[in-house]
Amino acid sequence: MKKKSKIKLKMDFVSSVALDGKTGQKKINFILNRVKDGSILVVNGVLTPDEEMDLIKETMRRVDDGFPGIEVCSLKKQLKGWKQFFDAFSNGREKLSTSIWTGITGKPPKTKLKTGITLIGPAKIIKDIKKNPDSFSVLAET
Amino acid sequence: MVFDRLVNWFRNFFRLRQDISLGIYGCTNVGKTTLANKICMDWTGEEMGKASRIPHETRFVQKKEKVLIESNGKKININILDMPGIATKIDYRKFLKYGIKKKAAKVRAKEATKGVVEAIKWLDHVDTVLAVMDATKDPLTQVNITLLGNLEAKGIPVILVANKTDLKKAKPQSIKEAFPQYPLVEVSALKGTNINNLYEAIIRNSRKAK
Repeated sequence: MKKKSKIKLKMDFVSSVALDGKTGQKKINFILNRVKDGSILVVNGVLTPDEEMDLIKETMRRVDDGFPGIEVCSLKKQLKGWKQFFDAFSNGREKLSTSIWTGITGKPPKTKLKTGITLIGPAKIIKDIKKNPDSFSVLAET
Repeated sequence: MVFDRLVNWFRNFFRLRQDISLGIYGCTNVGKTTLANKICMDWTGEEMGKASRIPHETRFVQKKEKVLIESNGKKININILDMPGIATKIDYRKFLKYGIKKKAAKVRAKEATKGVVEAIKWLDHVDTVLAVMDATKDPLTQVNITLLGNLEAKGIPVILVANKTDLKKAKPQSIKEAFPQYPLVEVSALKGTNINNLYEAIIRNSRKAK
């Protein structure tokens, strides 16, 4: 009888506490160092839009023959009506204070993750992510 | 976002610039260069770049400056910026399937990664964005979501372009359902279908039209 080969898949579940209070660059380094080592990360929170773009940018800088990149998927808390307006207002205020902070100190600000969930894994392992507005399913293969 | 909008408002109010930079963004192989070529052919008689079925054909930002477009008696000068496709992964092995040799595939992949970085950097210098999506594919990709979230945070006006509507599998309504908050134009850049509606949308959503 043919013996089945064992498939190993490493998943790290990360609390928002581990990333809150870090600068965007430190968050991205934290994520990419683990993903490049083959881990699939499930983070209890989502990055800001700027950080998400920086994550793609930094991933591209680290692409090589053995690391073709990442698959990423996030679910954010959907806000409607007044809550959406206040969220937009608070984002604008946060951005303004960030610009002032960076202008004065020359250092990037420390930010908190937004409410939601993010999955990030190596593109070599994650073959497909099917996303719906409120859920997503992941197909992984080693 | 509010701060960016205020800055944009002041810039537009005092007409500090005479033309707008129109960035054409999206995932790979959604037809960005085909669309850029169609716009350029219609208004300048020249194509902009080479479109291909091989992903990451556009690996450098391509520019066409001072293209005057017109719709319903209104005119606007645009600088067209055809961007490399944004991706979270680039594997040189994928290019081998298209008959590209290993060495050339690796060079192509390296250039493509730099292209993605360059396209993202340009987000700070565009005034309006055409977010192009392939109407035959699922629009709920992380790249689309990240791109639109980023543009919203920067306060940059976005027009969604559902491309490839000439194909039988096209479902432009799925783009509308996924991102109902943005204006959407359904086109076939290859056949030129509905392209006048796109020009109208560009002028309507760009505040410098005269």
